Amino acid sequence: MKLSNILLFPILAFAIIACDNSNEPDIDPPATYEFTRNGESSVSFTGQTTRIQMAAELTSAMMDFDNSTEELLLEMYRNETATGGDADPFQNPDLNDATKNIKGKVAASTDYFASNTQLSAEIKNQFENWLSAQINEVFPNENTLAAAGQPGQIADGSSTRYVNGKGFEYNQLVGKSLIGALMADQMLNNYLSTSVLDAGTNREDNNEGTLAEGSNYTNMEHKWDEAYGYLFGNAENPADPAIGEGNGFLNTYLGRVDGDDDFAGIAQETYEAFILGRAAIEAGAYDVRDEQAQIIRENISTVIAVRAVYYLQSGKAALEQSTPDFGAAFHDLSEAYGFIYSLKFSRVPNSDSPYLSSQEIDAMLAQLEDGEGLWDVETSSLDQMSETIAAQFDFTVEEAAN
Amino acid sequence: MKKYTILLLTVFFVWSCSNNSPSSPNPDDFDREAILVNWADNIIIPAFSDLSETTSQLHSSAESFTTSPTQQNLNSLRNSWENAYLAFQHVSMFEMGEAMQLRFRDNLNIYPTDTTEIKENISEGTYDLELPSLNNSQGFPALDYLIHGLGENDTEILSHYTTSSEAQNYRTYLTDLTLRIDTLTDQILNSWTSGYRDEFVNNSGNGANSSLDMMVNDYIYYYEKHLRAGKIGIPAGVFSGSPLSGHVEAYYSEGFSKALFNEALSASINFFNGTHFEGEADGQSLDDYLDYLNTMKDGADLTSIINNQFQVAMNEAQALNDNFAAQVETDNSLMLATYDELQRNVVNLKVDMLQALNINVDYVDADGD
Repeated sequence: MKLSNILLFPILAFAIIACDNSNEPDIDPPATYEFTRNGESSVSFTGQTTRIQMAAELTSAMMDFDNSTEELLLEMYRNETATGGDADPFQNPDLNDATKNIKGKVAASTDYFASNTQLSAEIKNQFENWLSAQINEVFPNENTLAAAGQPGQIADGSSTRYVNGKGFEYNQLVGKSLIGALMADQMLNNYLSTSVLDAGTNREDNNEGTLAEGSNYTNMEHKWDEAYGYLFGNAENPADPAIGEGNGFLNTYLGRVDGDDDFAGIAQETYEAFILGRAAIEAGAYDVRDEQAQIIRENISTVIAVRAVYYLQSGKAALEQSTPDFGAAFHDLSEAYGFIYSLKFSRVPNSDSPYLSSQEIDAMLAQLEDGEGLWDVETSSLDQMSETIAAQFDFTVEEAAN
Repeated sequence: MKKYTILLLTVFFVWSCSNNSPSSPNPDDFDREAILVNWADNIIIPAFSDLSETTSQLHSSAESFTTSPTQQNLNSLRNSWENAYLAFQHVSMFEMGEAMQLRFRDNLNIYPTDTTEIKENISEGTYDLELPSLNNSQGFPALDYLIHGLGENDTEILSHYTTSSEAQNYRTYLTDLTLRIDTLTDQILNSWTSGYRDEFVNNSGNGANSSLDMMVNDYIYYYEKHLRAGKIGIPAGVFSGSPLSGHVEAYYSEGFSKALFNEALSASINFFNGTHFEGEADGQSLDDYLDYLNTMKDGADLTSIINNQFQVAMNEAQALNDNFAAQVETDNSLMLATYDELQRNVVNLKVDMLQALNINVDYVDADGD
């Protein structure tokens, strides 16, 4: 977000509040994401916390050479057996007891996939293919040196990375792509959408304070909370989260981007938009609510795009060293692949579409995979991709890269 | 108003012109190649030659020991290990060219070593030491474990090579490790003496890919990560909050970590001053470059500041126990004090020196994911 926009925002908000004085209720946003009704919290996003934790266990199980099997990884993804029976694939017993799963919410937003189930199924299956390939291609080559066409291990500094024949780390593809396909998609294209917030009698119920059955929240409040949960639901203190904490999903990268001077403030702005939007729902100020949703859409999409460009550029730098550092480059570019994939689920504010079309994104991914994959990728095409992405946003490649 | 502006501008121009004569020298005018020649011919190649002799001695000591696993042969193997490990401290910072390609330092000196993996390799008898995942079960730290750490006393240690059911596997693993150290060292020495030396010296321009920029970056990286952090900071718990005595270099030797540190710090000082390997002669190096540029910091000469600070760190370390693990466990504050003195020169080298030499840092802290 440009500085001018940041400056504009409070002025606009002020102007709106000032104008609305006469006919709309006052909005009084609290300092942290804490909302109560009758003395008890009305905030709930347990399902989101659960799914973030499932995703964390899944990506770490992908690297557990001694214990993981294809069956186990697929069960973790689906939280059920291949035949649909109850499965207990997780270390954390709470996750085994949960009725939630990752797969059901992958590429499953109302706005993007309600009438696009074919694409949804394709994306859901893509993740299964990566999980299976990790077991079938990479695991058998745990103790083999990687080479073009040969899966195996490769050094990245003092770390060891495990890659497929084209140099990709499947665990990075899964982890970073889930940021978009699960978390951003549910947040930006589902829970923050008017189609979901205002579904059924939600507005009427919210206006009249009619609570969801057996709960202390209105349906609309809960939907908004669920969006919040995909960003901060696994924080130590979710109401007042530390920016950047977490296990490599959205909050982690919100923190990374916020740590870059060119984007400083984006985390606080996003957090405040969530709080103001939730307060606006309590006040019945739906225009203010929807304005906050647009801010969040822009910021979360920007975070994903910045990291895509950042990793493309660090991968490029590693390949351009006088002694190319393939291990470091493959790690960066595997992350870049996941973030580019995640851009499919980005959302241009006040529109129904992502910042880049699926076709454009698939073309970039195909370029990374082409030929020997990362072993012979041209650094000029990494630059091109970076430019293509940055051109759709309010930042330059330079700003994202440093 | 306009007139004043013009007047001011004129004054400014006159002032800037007249100020030209005593201006600082241009970094580009300095003979960078003289430094590269001194580094290559009087420090790097002699240090690798010396290491190569000690690693070949290490391998032959290991062979004698495995042929005849006696107390006497164990003693001389330990002696050879010490000599080679000390010699390694003089080349560890030169991770460029073939050394970088082979990832020499990661193969020879990752500690703490992975004793579980070592035992697994020995039991199974099948291992590919070229695999990055086996970097932490080979090199000097793995040898440290194999010659010092296998038992409470020497009788117990020797039994692994004599009466144990896996004695043959232990012997084979030992010589496989010493052979690999020796082979990798020779590969790098050969690369320096058969072409890379000229390539290194001729690449005397400036810019990110010039030899001087790369070498200076390697040097500071080494000083920051491997000397300051690896040898002192990590065991002292600077990064973890609580001390980690098991993370000292040469942990199983129970007494050699300080010697290695001193050797490494001396090597770093010698490099900065261009002091010839195992000699007194002082050739061209970073100190001369800084002096040529009249580099000052807070009104004092930067070369002197850096050299004084090296000396302060050296003196601070004098008080440390020969065994850093014991030091960390009994009085960690002395380790922390040494760390602080080493850290002061990170700033002098990485900020002030690089700025004066117009060199950019080419590494960043990995973002950890």
